[in-house]
Amino acid sequence: MSGILTKLKDKLQSYRVPGYRTKFEYKWTMVVDLDRCNGCEACVVACYAENNLPVVGKRDCDISRRFSWIRIERYIEGEYPDVKVKFIPIMCQHCDAAPCELGCPVYATYHNQDGLNVQVYNRCVGTFTCATYCTYDVRRFNWFTYKWDSPLEQQLNPDVTVREMGVMEKCTFCIQRIRVAKDTAKDEGRKVTDGDVQTACMQSCPTDAITFGDLNDPNSKVSKLAKSPRRYRLLEELNTDPSVIYLKRVMDEKKGHGSSHG
Amino acid sequence: MKNLIVNFIILVIFVVTLGVGYLIADQYIGRAPEQPINFSHKIHAGTNEIPCMYCHIYAERAKVSGAPNVQRCMGCHKIIKTESPEIKKLAGYWERQEPIPWIKVHNLPDHVDFTHKRHIKAGRKCQECHGPVETMDRVTRVASLKMGWCLKCHAKYNVKNGRECWTCHI
Repeated sequence: MSGILTKLKDKLQSYRVPGYRTKFEYKWTMVVDLDRCNGCEACVVACYAENNLPVVGKRDCDISRRFSWIRIERYIEGEYPDVKVKFIPIMCQHCDAAPCELGCPVYATYHNQDGLNVQVYNRCVGTFTCATYCTYDVRRFNWFTYKWDSPLEQQLNPDVTVREMGVMEKCTFCIQRIRVAKDTAKDEGRKVTDGDVQTACMQSCPTDAITFGDLNDPNSKVSKLAKSPRRYRLLEELNTDPSVIYLKRVMDEKKGHGSSHG
Repeated sequence: MKNLIVNFIILVIFVVTLGVGYLIADQYIGRAPEQPINFSHKIHAGTNEIPCMYCHIYAERAKVSGAPNVQRCMGCHKIIKTESPEIKKLAGYWERQEPIPWIKVHNLPDHVDFTHKRHIKAGRKCQECHGPVETMDRVTRVASLKMGWCLKCHAKYNVKNGRECWTCHI
């Protein structure tokens, strides 16, 4: 009996250590090159279309009920005519040591076998704890059961659940596409290779700023980009260990507003 | 005293609602809605031994098994038994270029992501979930399709990631 308990304890402990995901088969990672991002918000539109996000309207946006899973933050530096604008797309960071998972009383958000931070809609009771704990403010709440006006309901993605009132949701790294890629890979008896999975935001990005792939595979595009000296992660000092890697924007020092941090 | 009575009534209503809900959920077993055409699986799959996937062609390569289109029915019934009143109904749909409005017997909620393909590829028989369809004149539901019912089988066959939430809920 005690043997089982210690085993269980060891297993639980292993889930607490940041970086435990390396022992899993895949480690899905997204790399966002901020040097390439021009803030066109094509990724936002693609996300709305792919993941059945409702358009909540101006009034709800004003009272912070906005619904985009990915948002573009703007930073404006300097004064006219020497203005520099920087954009950072921010989606769920799929943290290894996710703060949101600690708060959920019903285990509706947890780490899956790929190390993704998953939200189980039918388990969620809408306590809002995860959104309060989230460091990056990326969790969205269904305040109402949103309706699509005819004929817009015909463009809903059948692979993604249409959420109802009282459910928390967030970026899933397009888990439905990962599942399709795994399904095909299983049929062909191989592992998911680089380029099999395309998230909706990555697919729509006109400047290829977003790259998605498996960090466990040393030859993947993502693991090559992750070695870049421009690499950083959001709020890394909080030890959330995010899966989204940003590549810093390098700006011209001479003409800029006097700083090299970009 | 009055408050106590009100509270008691509320409690009773609550318990009754839960109980009724539980019973209704189980009543789906044995559900056999009347279909627009009196189609008999007994004649097709039983007597004539047509394999399931001759008509439900998508079962082995997609999420859904798919009801066959009218063309597939007419492929045989242009010649076979054209005088029967039920086949005449079918011919009517064919001439009007309309799909047959079949009523779904095995319906899953939207938050369940079930794939037929993976189950067929794993060697499961259709009858394990749908019951002995080849003996049914009108298709009847034999399983509750509740999550516990799914997990019983996933535990029995030791499915990889079979007890993970995201395996079925995305």
